[in-house]
Formats: sequence, C-alpha cells, structure tokens
Amino acid sequence: MAFLLFDVGSTYTKACVVDLQKEEILAYTAAFTSADTDINDGIEVAKRQMLDTMPDITIEKTLICSSAKGGLKMVAVGLVPDLTLKAATLACYSAGAKVIQSYSFELNDTEINKIETSGCDILLLCGGTDGGNFEVVLHNARKIACLSRKFPIIYAGNKSCQDEIHQILSDRGFECTICPNVMPSFGILEVGECRDIIRNIFLKHIVKAKGLSKLTSLINEIVLPTPYAVLEALKLLSKGTKNELGLGDLMAIDIGGATSDVYSINATFEIGDNVGYKGLHEPLEKRSVEGDLGVRYNAGSLVEFMPDYVDQDPGFKEYIKRIESDAHLSENFLYDHLLAKTCCEIACKRHAGRLETAYTPMGVSYYQQGKDLRNTSIMIGIGGPILHSKDPTDILKSALYTMENKEILLPLHLDYYLDRSYIISCLGLLASRYPDSILRILKKNLEKIT
Amino acid sequence: MEKTTVVIGVIGADVHAVGNRIIDYALTKAGFKVINLGVMVSQKEFLDATIETNAKAIIVSSLYGHGEMDCRGMGDLCKEAGLDVLLYVGGNLVIGKSDFTLVEAKFKKMGFDRVYPPGSDIEQGIRDLNFDLKSRL
Repeated sequence: MAFLLFDVGSTYTKACVVDLQKEEILAYTAAFTSADTDINDGIEVAKRQMLDTMPDITIEKTLICSSAKGGLKMVAVGLVPDLTLKAATLACYSAGAKVIQSYSFELNDTEINKIETSGCDILLLCGGTDGGNFEVVLHNARKIACLSRKFPIIYAGNKSCQDEIHQILSDRGFECTICPNVMPSFGILEVGECRDIIRNIFLKHIVKAKGLSKLTSLINEIVLPTPYAVLEALKLLSKGTKNELGLGDLMAIDIGGATSDVYSINATFEIGDNVGYKGLHEPLEKRSVEGDLGVRYNAGSLVEFMPDYVDQDPGFKEYIKRIESDAHLSENFLYDHLLAKTCCEIACKRHAGRLETAYTPMGVSYYQQGKDLRNTSIMIGIGGPILHSKDPTDILKSALYTMENKEILLPLHLDYYLDRSYIISCLGLLASRYPDSILRILKKNLEKIT
Repeated sequence: MEKTTVVIGVIGADVHAVGNRIIDYALTKAGFKVINLGVMVSQKEFLDATIETNAKAIIVSSLYGHGEMDCRGMGDLCKEAGLDVLLYVGGNLVIGKSDFTLVEAKFKKMGFDRVYPPGSDIEQGIRDLNFDLKSRL
C-alpha cells in the first residue's frame, strides 16, 4: 500500500512515497517552486522525479498539506491581551495558522479598516470567560458585521452571548461557526475544538481560494495546513500508540526564510515545588510562530539580535543585504549557519516559560509563567537552513538552558535528531489513520546526530 | 440564578496563602463564584481577571505590611479601565500599631469601598459584600 504525500510550501515542494506494509520511505524529493509559478508545477516536477524511478508502483492515494500562498492567514480578536487574546492566538497556532493581525478590547474604525484590507482567510473572535464579560465581544461582532469583505468567522468567546453573535454576523452574510470558549474559565485554555473547526473551514473554503482545488484531479484527499500536519506527526512521535512506544517529551524547530516555528509536546504541565503559577496554562502540545525570525526575508530583523557580528564583519552586513533581496542565494555557509543558530536561540527562548524570582520580606519566592521544558530531552531539526548546515547540532544546541538566562525554562540536556528526508510534515497527513506504522516509520527515519 | 463572580488574591510580593484559602472557602460556601488568583498578584492581574470574568468585586489581601505601597493607585486604575467594581482590602495593611481609623481613611482615599483590620470576621465581610451588591442594583 503506497501513498504519495506532498508538502507544498512557497519555496519548496517536498514529497515522499511511503509504503505502509513494508513501513518504508520508497522515495523522497524536494522540488523548487517559486512563489509566482503555479503550485501545480512543483507538484508535477516532484511527482515525476520520484515515480520515474519506480515504474511499477501503484499509488493507493495522494495526499497533500500546504503552506503555499502565505499559508492559512488568520486574524485573532480577544478581550484582555494576556488572557483571551493570547488564548485565541494559541488556538490559531495549534491549528497551523499564521496570525497576521491581533486585536484586544473594543475594535475601533481604524482597526476595522485594517481587518478589511488584511486579506485574512478566517477571523477568530473571542472574549470573556463563560458568564463573564459580553459587552466587548458584542461590540466587536457588530463592528465586524459591517465589513464588506466576507470571510468565515469563528466565535469562541463567552457562551452567554453566542446566539446573539451568531445572529449579528449571519444577518450580514458572514458564515459564523460557534465554538466552545477558548478560555471557559479564568486561566483555563481549551483549544481542541477550535483547532478542529479551523481545519474544517480550511478544507471547505480556503483550499479553493488558494488554487489548491485545481489539484483535485491529482490528489484524492486534502489537505491540512502544513504546521497542523507537523504537529500531528510530533504528537504521535511523542506519545506513541497502544502498541508502539513514543519518544516522550520533545521539541522541534522549523526554521524558514520568513518565519520560524517552535513546537513542544509534553505529557504533563510541570510546575516546580514551592512555585506559584501566573497567567494562562499553555497547551501541552504547543506551537509558537515567530513572524520576525527567518534566515532570508527576515534576515534584516534577525541581525538586530547579533550586533557583535554586524559591527565586526562588514562582509556579514553585505551578505544580509544580498540575501534579503535574493532569497535563493546561499553561498556563505558560515553566515548562513550563524543566522540559523541565532534564529533557533531566539525562537526557543520565546517559546519556553519563565521562572521569575521575587525577593519578598519573607525570603525568596518563585513564580512560573508558560511551559517548563527543562526535562524535555529531544530536539528535532526541521527545514532547509538546519539540514543544509555543516553542523546542525551546533544550531540546535542553542535551544539549551543557559546560566546567563537562568529564568528561561529551556531543556537542560538534549538529544538531537534531524528530519533529513523532509518526511515529518508528509507523514503527519497519515498520523491519525495509521498511527502504528507511521510511528515506526518516523522513528526509523529520523536521523540521530551528535 | 447566576452566581456573582468575585476576584480574590494576595497583592504584591506577599506569599501568605492560608488566609487566601479561607476567604476562597468562605465565599464559595456563601454562593459566590470565586476567581482566586492566589499569592503575589499584581494590580494588572486583578484588573485583567475582573474584565474577562465580569466580576462584581475585587477582594485584596495583604499580610506583610507593604499593603499601602502595593495598593496605591488601584482605585484610579479601576476607573481608568472603566470598571465599576466593589473594591475591598483587608489584612495587616501597614507595619506597626497605627490607629486603624487612620489606615481605613487612607485606603478609602485610594478608592477602596471597605477596609478590614487584622482578625476581622470573614462572615461580617460576606454580609457587607451582599449588602453592597444589593444596594448597587
């Protein structure tokens, strides 16, 4: 039983042929697709590259995940920035979306105009715990209802006014899906159902809008946003199945040209002894997206974190200017390595929780915010910049806990793995259907590095 | 009938947890929905929680004597945030043996509706809360 799996990105189309009976990757490839060519071209090239070498193969099914055309773009609207807006953002991330704009409190006309022209695929409207504040979400729903561009809206706020909100939005021609509150009571985050709803809307509407439906002659089933598929694969790899042991708590980083994604999968939420907790409990399966950290299009903002290099090495500055305008240029391994390493360091630091120390009249006391990853012991590198480096371990090492930043709860010790054959996203497509075989294939094909 | 939500917590760098638990227990038993922010709570956390949960009262505890510094400006902050909420404070609010009437006056000036000295009866506090909530209807 062979499957043809695609991961269509904006620069590369990755593909693999996997045999579930033999539990083997028969072939894999990455074909170049530029943003302005038709994504079908990349798929055709990749398909030919692989299938030409295997004339006898019968493909059971072709499946695809996609982050082409900017991926799944969402606007998140919440009430308090640290509470429901953060919950909304985390929900978007866990569904594999990119949050292009986010707003808190009452929306004003300027913000409404920005949403109008944002080009978003879906808007997620949240605010208030169940039984909590409803004035603000009602205000925001009325404002949003006046937009002339119609896009799907998910309401995942205070349940007390969900019927009213549904009415307000559908009266003005919006497709509004009601979802259980992402923060039903104070500090509690529940993103599971919201994630499913986002995926369903992606399937129903967005696939068409992004030119992916043209592929229906080629593919049998679609389609997940790529980060969603990655998260599925990582969850399976971490937790395992009834018959096959998983690897336990793990992290992964996918460094890209424009953004970087960090994932962490943990079995339990660890809070140290005698440590208080502040704020929202983040998801055990967490994805964070750093929109300003990338090694090509965002190299300019990345170098702000590395002032020493910029000052000491005029060649470095020069190189940054060139790669920013020509993303495919890659001629200096050392510079590329430095960029990827800095990217990994900053993105992981932002992903991890913090342990703040407070000096009180009763002595020292501690409180934690976010996830404690100190006992996470596996780090998986995904994406070109890590794979193409001559020393990927050195890049991934920058995710470790350091004494200079004692408060940042990063892993104390790590084993490193590489997604050498670009299979994590592709195999994520089958993770829920054939968990046992996919898990074994994943374990077999991840390359341990030292 | 829907329960009235109240937000409680120990303000500042104060880690006295026992009284906080007692207040949580007593208020819950009296029929309130209690959002307990625990110890070492900042003014911002009190306000954020109140906004999201639409709470009708904030009950601030302070045991370690720095209450005056920690609570300064809290009434104004509530006004700034557009919150029409009852503001209570209680505990060992200042260091030393100050005259409680002076302490009470000081905190009322800061915007607190009720101020409780050490050793106050929690039941009295709940009676006051019910009375104040009713008179606001």
